Amino acid sequence: MADDDSAGVPRLNSLDRHGRQIAPEVFAAAETVFSRALRHGTKLLGDPAVVVNILEEVAATVSQRLLHSDPPGEATTTRNLAGYVFRAFVRHINRLKNKEHALLHAAIARNAAAPKSADPSRQFEMQILLREYLARFSFAEKDMCWRRLEGYAWDEIGKLQGLSGHAARERLRSAVKRVKAELAEEKGKKSLPSGAQAGQNEELKPAPRTDVKKKATTA
Amino acid sequence: MSKRKQQQLNDFDDPEFLGFAKSYLSEAFPNPQRIGCPPDSQLQQMAEHPVEARDAEISDHLTRCSPCFNRYMEMLANLRRGKAAGQ
Repeated sequence: MADDDSAGVPRLNSLDRHGRQIAPEVFAAAETVFSRALRHGTKLLGDPAVVVNILEEVAATVSQRLLHSDPPGEATTTRNLAGYVFRAFVRHINRLKNKEHALLHAAIARNAAAPKSADPSRQFEMQILLREYLARFSFAEKDMCWRRLEGYAWDEIGKLQGLSGHAARERLRSAVKRVKAELAEEKGKKSLPSGAQAGQNEELKPAPRTDVKKKATTA
Repeated sequence: MSKRKQQQLNDFDDPEFLGFAKSYLSEAFPNPQRIGCPPDSQLQQMAEHPVEARDAEISDHLTRCSPCFNRYMEMLANLRRGKAAGQ
């Protein structure tokens, strides 16, 4: 499994997370393409540790394939092993991304078709939130929302806005946070007790001159 | 799931919320007389190249018109399929 070095950057291990051994020549090839694979994989999947795990799995699979295809003692027939490992890694990542899209799409469709009475209070809460989001989102945020509802991945949404997938996701997340904060603030203002509101108003008035009356009675 | 993880979750990453939103918007605003609906060509333009100055009103209209919302979702799906086929 991926280990972190002292700088927190994950590094390759000679065993993958299933405990399969990576052959030394494949390990060296994986090390050669490591930084390129890490950059590419992190852009698509977000988490470097996951990316390194995938590279290790791919390297272990390539090792097994080499072991079975080459008779012992014979040199490997793959000329560009580093290129081979990188291509296998990219194919694996693409398969994972496609699976992720398909799962998200299926989950949206399943939930859209689910009976509406499943949890009325949750439905009501989601309805209010949705209406508030759509009323308060900017044009770009709403556009992200439409595409997300159609099952677009963050990378696809980001590309349209000139952002990375991660940045697009963060942008919509902060928009959601902003709307929720606005709602909480409005709710707080509305639920202030009338006494407290009166107290607030009184702060704006000049203080009453109580000493004037006292002086008049003592005189 | 930890409380911190839950707080970090975006509603737009939550399949339950996305499913609800899609179902709600596709049915809650029937607009049988199609009042204020933009032509398909404008919806298509927005799907392909969204431009705020041109499309802001259409985007707002989608929040209150289920037929247009459904049509727009179809267009986005077709666009996505087309892009995937072209890759």
